[in-house]
Amino acid sequence: MKKEILRFSDVTYIYHTVRGETIAAQDLSFSVDEGEFVAIIGPSGCGKTTLLSLAAGLMKPSAGTVESRGSFGYMLQRDELFPWRTIEKNICLPLEIKRQTAPEHRARARELAVKYGLGDFLDSYPGQLSGGMRQRAALIRTLATDPDILLLDEPFSALDYQTRLNVTEDVSEIIRSEQKTALLITHDISEAISLADRVLVLTRRPARVAHTHTLDFEVGNPLKRREQANFSGWFERLWRELNE
Amino acid sequence: MKHNLTECSDEHMTFLKRRKKRRALIWALRLGLLALLLGVWELVTRVGWADPFLTSSPSRIGATIASLYRDGSLFYHIGVTLAETLAGFAIAVVLGCGVALALWWSDLLREVLEPYIVVLNALPKIALGPLIIIWFGTGSTAIVFMTVLVGIIVCILHMLSAFIATDKNKILLLRSMGATKWQILRKLVIPSSLASFISMLKVAVGMAWIGSIMGEYIVSRAGLGYLIVYGGQVFKLDLVMSATCILCLLAAGMYFLVALLEKAIVKNADR
Ligand SMILES: Nc1ncnc2c1ncn2[C@@H]1O[C@H](COP(=O)(O)OP(=O)(O)OP(=O)(O)O)[C@@H](O)[C@H]1O
Ligand SMILES: [Mg+2]
Repeated sequence: MKKEILRFSDVTYIYHTVRGETIAAQDLSFSVDEGEFVAIIGPSGCGKTTLLSLAAGLMKPSAGTVESRGSFGYMLQRDELFPWRTIEKNICLPLEIKRQTAPEHRARARELAVKYGLGDFLDSYPGQLSGGMRQRAALIRTLATDPDILLLDEPFSALDYQTRLNVTEDVSEIIRSEQKTALLITHDISEAISLADRVLVLTRRPARVAHTHTLDFEVGNPLKRREQANFSGWFERLWRELNE
Repeated sequence: MKHNLTECSDEHMTFLKRRKKRRALIWALRLGLLALLLGVWELVTRVGWADPFLTSSPSRIGATIASLYRDGSLFYHIGVTLAETLAGFAIAVVLGCGVALALWWSDLLREVLEPYIVVLNALPKIALGPLIIIWFGTGSTAIVFMTVLVGIIVCILHMLSAFIATDKNKILLLRSMGATKWQILRKLVIPSSLASFISMLKVAVGMAWIGSIMGEYIVSRAGLGYLIVYGGQVFKLDLVMSATCILCLLAAGMYFLVALLEKAIVKNADR
């Protein structure tokens, strides 16, 4: 029996500005189980980023409830590494913020970096790394505090296609081997299909869940998935639903 | 990126050589221009096309500075002005950054104070001269106060706009890690404003000179600004020109120091 780790119940969120109000989400309900990889796709501007901010508790819903168990790691579209810090110091940033200054925390972060191929770059500055490596460093920074849920807001969309495939591959491997729960937001249908256990399709703004699909792949590896026979079937289906 | 200089191509060597040559040419022309200006100035006063009583001349400036040096007042006046300028500069920068931080911290404070800052920025500070004399007397305190007054608004506005321009996504990232406002300030806002801080220093140096000389015009009994005013009043143009030349050198020197500081910090910041 899977345990629920995040639940949105009839969540509504309204942005207020002088010009008026924008309903970004309305009666939005869904839940995520522990260890699950959920992808959320939706038309641009429908309220996806809003949804993540609500999940992370950075904003309170106007109505409804967001319940979660566990801690969050947030990863943004661009790596947002601090250019004046070395990679090691960037990776340890969340530890500093959370005042987890004990040496074993640092050692864990370093270990992660070494394990995922950044060992030689710990003393480098972000400007010296390629886009793909920077994004990997950003993921390791997200993992440094050992969060229970990863919130990924289009983390690959700033990368070029080739790098993107590779980084998606890396990230998928890292997230699965660390057995994390992940909530991935993306524009990219094939990215969602190649990574997730379950895909939620959102409506246009205000966002609601239009469809939920549990994907039936035997393999977890994104590149292998792309070669599977049912990949294109899923793609067409989601594409249709997205454009309804 | 580091390049290994021993391994660079011939073409790159010629490129570097040409660059070096060009730098040398530019410096030669700069110095030549200076020599030309001084030469022409000297010449026209010597042959009587211009009255040295009104225009002074390089040789007379030299003589004036030498006599100031001999009676021991040269370094006294330089010291007075330099001390006032540096004190005013330091206070304006420190106080200005402090105020900018406070304004960044509290939106309410910022919105409340905005019109005051705008007015203070627009106000010609020299209009406050009489008030300053009455409040602070005619000593160095008044001049330092004037210097601070002239410089601080620029510091505040410059730094505030830098603080406010901090990348919103990076703030979001820190907030998602549970950062407090104080942590956001220390880990992100201040370090990312370093470049702006330096460019602010460059502006503030200029402002400090304006402030201190303006202050000396109104109240002082010593300093380069005083020499200029005094020289003007007694029609000793040599003295006016001498003090102005020294001022040029000092201002340039101070700007140069800030530029050096910039180089050092930038080198440190993004290797
Ligand atoms: N701070 C804000 N104030 C007012 N309106 C906002 C604010 N942030 C977002 N919105 C509006 O809310 C809606 C949803 O925004 P959100 O950023 O969540 O969408 P999104 O699906 O992430 O968009 P994108 O696909 O461009 O990333 C948009 O119409 C946006 O204009
Ligand atoms: Mg978004």
